[in-house]
Amino acid sequence: MDTQSVQTEENPLLEGLRLRRTPEPCVLAIFGASGDLTRRKIFPALYSLAMRKLLPEQFGVIGIARTAQATEEFVAAMEAAVREFARDEFRSDVWDRLASGTRYVTTDFADEGGQDNVVKCLNELDAHAGTRGNRVYYLAVPPTAMPALVQELGERRTTTGWVRLIVEKPFGRDLASARELNEILASHFTEGEVFRIDHYLGKETVQNLLALRFANGIFEPIWNRQFIDHVQITVAESIGIEARAGYYEQAGAIRDIFQNHLLQLLALTAMEPPIDFDAESVRNEKVKVLRALSTPNPRFVVRGQYGRGFIEGVEVPGYREEPGVAPDSTTETFVAARLFVDSWRWADTPFYVRTGKRLARRDTTIAIQFKRAPHPPFEDIDTLRPNVLFVHVQPNEGVSLAIGAKVPGEGMRVRNVHMDFLYGGTFRTGLPDAYERLILDTMLGDQTLFTRADEIEEQWSLVDAIVAAWARERPNFPNYAAGTWGPASSQELVAWHR
Amino acid sequence: MASVAIEGWADDCATIEEIEDALAELRLRVGRGGVPDLRTSVLTHMAWVPSEWQAAATETLAGLGERHPSRTLLFFPEPEEGNRLAATVFLECHPLEGDARHLCNEVVELRLGGPRAEAPASIATPLLLPDLPVFLRWRGRPPFRTGQFAQMIAIADRLIVDSAEWPDVPGAYAELEDFFEAAAVSDIAWRRTLPWRAALAHGWPERPDRIAGPPAETALLAGWLQSRAGVEVGREPAEGLPYDVDLDASGLLSEELNVFGRDAVYEAAAQAAGRL
Repeated sequence: MDTQSVQTEENPLLEGLRLRRTPEPCVLAIFGASGDLTRRKIFPALYSLAMRKLLPEQFGVIGIARTAQATEEFVAAMEAAVREFARDEFRSDVWDRLASGTRYVTTDFADEGGQDNVVKCLNELDAHAGTRGNRVYYLAVPPTAMPALVQELGERRTTTGWVRLIVEKPFGRDLASARELNEILASHFTEGEVFRIDHYLGKETVQNLLALRFANGIFEPIWNRQFIDHVQITVAESIGIEARAGYYEQAGAIRDIFQNHLLQLLALTAMEPPIDFDAESVRNEKVKVLRALSTPNPRFVVRGQYGRGFIEGVEVPGYREEPGVAPDSTTETFVAARLFVDSWRWADTPFYVRTGKRLARRDTTIAIQFKRAPHPPFEDIDTLRPNVLFVHVQPNEGVSLAIGAKVPGEGMRVRNVHMDFLYGGTFRTGLPDAYERLILDTMLGDQTLFTRADEIEEQWSLVDAIVAAWARERPNFPNYAAGTWGPASSQELVAWHR
Repeated sequence: MASVAIEGWADDCATIEEIEDALAELRLRVGRGGVPDLRTSVLTHMAWVPSEWQAAATETLAGLGERHPSRTLLFFPEPEEGNRLAATVFLECHPLEGDARHLCNEVVELRLGGPRAEAPASIATPLLLPDLPVFLRWRGRPPFRTGQFAQMIAIADRLIVDSAEWPDVPGAYAELEDFFEAAAVSDIAWRRTLPWRAALAHGWPERPDRIAGPPAETALLAGWLQSRAGVEVGREPAEGLPYDVDLDASGLLSEELNVFGRDAVYEAAAQAAGRL
């Protein structure tokens, strides 16, 4: 008997109520709260959840960071952030309620005395807001601070209430450090308590990829090597590194985007149908894809770094000219690779993935290119193009299918046209931000859209192999101009396939 | 952003073919800056609107197309008038943020004069969008035993009523029950009781002896308690509900347009209410 039927048997009035799940009372403690993420994403997401009455009645937030400030200053800064970044109009009654349960603690993360203050504040919120000892710890701290913080939280955990940890990326910087972090987490917390966030998985359009594949009978039968020629996954940004030189110099494109977002998109595109939408079922299928990824031949991995160029008609500096970047930096701002998933479904089907900064436009798209029609009976077949299914993750969220259609008039001329489904044009409710969904899921204990330890390790294993090959040779950077689609050799990757 | 009505075509003596031509012409219309507007539909939304409900129906429908892109067919029965089919076809367009284009919904207003009001399905059927669900909102008390209601329910996948608009509850629920097999039924009065039901479920096994509220909502709630838990409660009339639903009329209808399957709990509650 499932949980639902047990509940209904105990309480016959519950059936059919279609009530939204509301999280249990809890405190969200944000470590690293003075950072941009809290301002731009976390608080606007909390405000949107509050607006929709999706937060528990008994709820509190504690911002924790080294920056010295009083609770009042933190609350004022967050109010300004909500006014600037939230997707909903500002309503004082909604904000006042959220603000009344918000506190700020100034501390170094691993400092004993500081942690005492955090505990004191948590206990005060339990008493004041009735949050019952339930904790969501949001760890938005630099990787170097992560192990000590996890250790500290683990040692101080009590038996009252439940604990969930949201762990922001980067999760380690290679396989060894990711394993080490996983081990530290596992020594204090169960896997069910750890929510490794990859905000791409919280995007509606990424979840729509699963709906497209598994809610429609027409796609899955042709979603394989027999019908698909190749897949291209692009995560392109037109922005530069935006004052994040310290982080980006260490990470580069491969750790910043490729290791997480790109490989997750690939896993969702290539995975087998899960038996249900349960966290373990979905993650089991994703990890199988990641395990089946073969290490690419270095010839089929392209790295790049942008030089000076133009974005929207405005000249922008090259990467090495950005503040905080070494003038001879060899950090890559672009990666493209041809990958293969060694499975019955995908054998010999290339997955071309690329990501980069300062590219021609902001665009995250999964393009599924089908094989050409085997024998078109028309004269003008040179203009015939293969069918492509585009899943537009951002912007212009939606799906479009390129098909050949007859041009009206004499003869049989065929032109490619796009059939479009635009999210904004069909569902006008406004797409929730990924962080809204993911923070809510954490409070509800649903891990479906979070990355499991073994997934992370598989992802790092591939990245380590690529980085090891790069270490053998000094790159000739910069090798692409800002505002272009990356190094010419990356275009050749796909051209070589043709 | 405010919607814009794009005038199409109107005729006091229309044929289905002319209406279809007008819809096709509007589809080819080029929007601002020479960019074609977007057209998308998730359902055909029919509304049967007797004259006394016209103002309320217009208010409820305002902006609904933005949330549920659809072809809307509004039927205004005018049995006292002469035999005629008057039609007005237009687009209700909503600007897309950051885009020159609009998202447009088709609206067809049909005035069924004289005997035309007796055969509405023959007018509606050719205008339904193929392969999309058909929702029928019936304003006021449906004439359950008439041919016109039977015809319309036969082409609809879902019937949406608001039994708070009926003068003869709870007896009318006994008639409604006959149509549960023909189409899934949504009752906006039932939706309005959701917060109240949630509160009662939350407090279970405590149960009230009496409930006070408007006739339709209390009858449904009493039927629900009886069918779900075998609990009998007394009812007394009162204005307003003890637990308010934070949606206006348009929002309530919008919620029901999101529901597709049959609601067995509602059906059992309405059946029980019909026997009160």
